[in-house]
Amino acid sequence: MRAIRLHNVKKIFNNEVILDDVNLMIPSGEFFALLGPSGSGKTTLLRLIAGFESVDSGSIFLGKKDITNVPINERRVNTVFQNYALFPHFNVFDNVAYGLKIRKVKKDIIEQKVVQILKKVHLEKHIYKSIDQLSGGQQQRVALARAVINEPEVLLLDEPLAALDLKLREKMLVELIELQEVLKTTFVYVTHDQFEALTVADRMAIMSYEGHVEQVGTPEEIYEFPKTSFVAKFVGSTNIFKGNLRIEGDISYVEVKDIGKLEVVAQKNREWVCNGCKVLMSLRPEKIEITKKKLEGFSNCLTGVVESIVYHGRSTQYHVKLKNGFSVHVFEQNEEHFPQEDIDYDDNVYMYWQKENVVLLEK
Amino acid sequence: MKNNSVHYEATKNGAFFMAVPAVLWKLLFLYVPLFFIMLISFSKSFDFAFFKNVTLENYKSLFSLSYFRVIGRSLLLAFLNAFFCLLIAYPIAYFLALKVRRFKNLLLFLLALPFWTNFLVQVYAWFFILDHKGLLNTALLKMGIISQPLHILNTSAAIYIVMLFCYLPFMVMPIYSSLLKIDKFVLEASFDLGANSLQTLSHVTIPLSASGIMTGFFLVLIPSFGEFVIPALLGGGKVMYVGSMITYFFLETKNPFLGAAFTCLSGFVLILFALLIYVIFKKLFK
Repeated sequence: MRAIRLHNVKKIFNNEVILDDVNLMIPSGEFFALLGPSGSGKTTLLRLIAGFESVDSGSIFLGKKDITNVPINERRVNTVFQNYALFPHFNVFDNVAYGLKIRKVKKDIIEQKVVQILKKVHLEKHIYKSIDQLSGGQQQRVALARAVINEPEVLLLDEPLAALDLKLREKMLVELIELQEVLKTTFVYVTHDQFEALTVADRMAIMSYEGHVEQVGTPEEIYEFPKTSFVAKFVGSTNIFKGNLRIEGDISYVEVKDIGKLEVVAQKNREWVCNGCKVLMSLRPEKIEITKKKLEGFSNCLTGVVESIVYHGRSTQYHVKLKNGFSVHVFEQNEEHFPQEDIDYDDNVYMYWQKENVVLLEK
Repeated sequence: MKNNSVHYEATKNGAFFMAVPAVLWKLLFLYVPLFFIMLISFSKSFDFAFFKNVTLENYKSLFSLSYFRVIGRSLLLAFLNAFFCLLIAYPIAYFLALKVRRFKNLLLFLLALPFWTNFLVQVYAWFFILDHKGLLNTALLKMGIISQPLHILNTSAAIYIVMLFCYLPFMVMPIYSSLLKIDKFVLEASFDLGANSLQTLSHVTIPLSASGIMTGFFLVLIPSFGEFVIPALLGGGKVMYVGSMITYFFLETKNPFLGAAFTCLSGFVLILFALLIYVIFKKLFK
């Protein structure tokens, strides 16, 4: 089941291409995240689905229905705005009841439904408060309740937590996930924050510039098996090595200039994987073991000098300079109060990793 | 912290001293004369033994139907002028604030242009438009819409038309600025929640611009009530309005006592009327 399908959608603002032939399918009943840097056109995409903007070419389907030319108020889609966009002249009740009142639902049913939905978002004590008496998090919940009370086929969320502080954001993320599980509505969540996207999404799409969809997949697939260097670099952080792929029987390795051979697992069914091809190699910083001791059992090892150490609390981030000048980025979990070995600036260290933890990317 | 509070004290004092000239001006040229007018309205002659000679006689002689008709006529003119101004100004302000993108500054400039022109000059300009052989009649005759020139000048119609145009900017400006302050996303949210344009206008846009509507309404209503230039010049001066009545008492009959009483009476009626309108507005926008 597809909740939303975008077919060759193109959008131009002031002679600037915002979305260029975007094709995207969003499955029904899922928590779907659209992740991309600012300027990637993800908000425009959301506004096209909601109907606030119209496409220059292409079409948008909601379920099986072509809604490209359906006016905003007739689309079974509701939006949670980034700045909440609550009606400042209404109290909480009237804000939430607005959609039902417009549809001329009976008064007693409206009251029943509003109370019910406000309980779900933990606002039952604030029904008759005015909007400016609420905190940011509470306003966010009103915006959420106001949208979902209309039982839309798709709920669009445009960076809904951007204005909240970190602790509250983490709490709201959990509440959003719970709400989606109860309602089973398709949620489309637009964000530039990879942490939010990875947390909430059943599946996510990574957008680069002009709305180009780089990859669609579960958070694990996106993080562990990025298909392009854009995805690898944008989601999480990574070390990218450029080199030539060599396949010798069962053993494959990437030959990196001035560094040497780094063993990898090459999936030969991919068309761009061939002996002697130029490839990129992505190695996540937390997959690397950093130590001053010699270790056994790792397929790859590099040596270098510690250039910088940044303490993050739960982990420590190192930059290690290789002899060719390349800087490798390493994350080390701080598992103990008193680390076994003390790595300091200018120390010579070994970096170990397994070949399975490397992702090969098309150059 | 300490620095901040010192700075705050300084600006507070500064603000106080800067307000002094304006307050003095108001006191000397508005409240003091107003007080004298009220005083005079209760006396029969200029002397210093005021409190011995307090009299209600001026008010008693105003207690006639013809004077109340003048006040009633002015109230009607003021109310209808404000009402028609609102009807015309709201769409103008709406499009300027929410729809127009290009030429917005030019349009705003054109709207503010009358403020740069002397009021009397504006009124005289209307002579040339509304005259028997004026611009309007010539144009309508040329287009074949009418066969006889319309008789507009020196009628109530002329007063209403010119009042409407002269007071329009006072209505447009406050509504425009209140509409500008509306969050565009709030309007989008209304559509998103299923409302059509008309529902959004009545449930969201108009209530959120209520303060502008009220400001504009009173900005037009109150000066319209006392307007005397337009009725005198374009209405032919045949029909009496509050403004022309006061002029008549003070300048023609040289009876400042009756004039003062009439001024106070009509002012009082206007305040009551404005309060009534205010209550109605509050009810409408609840």
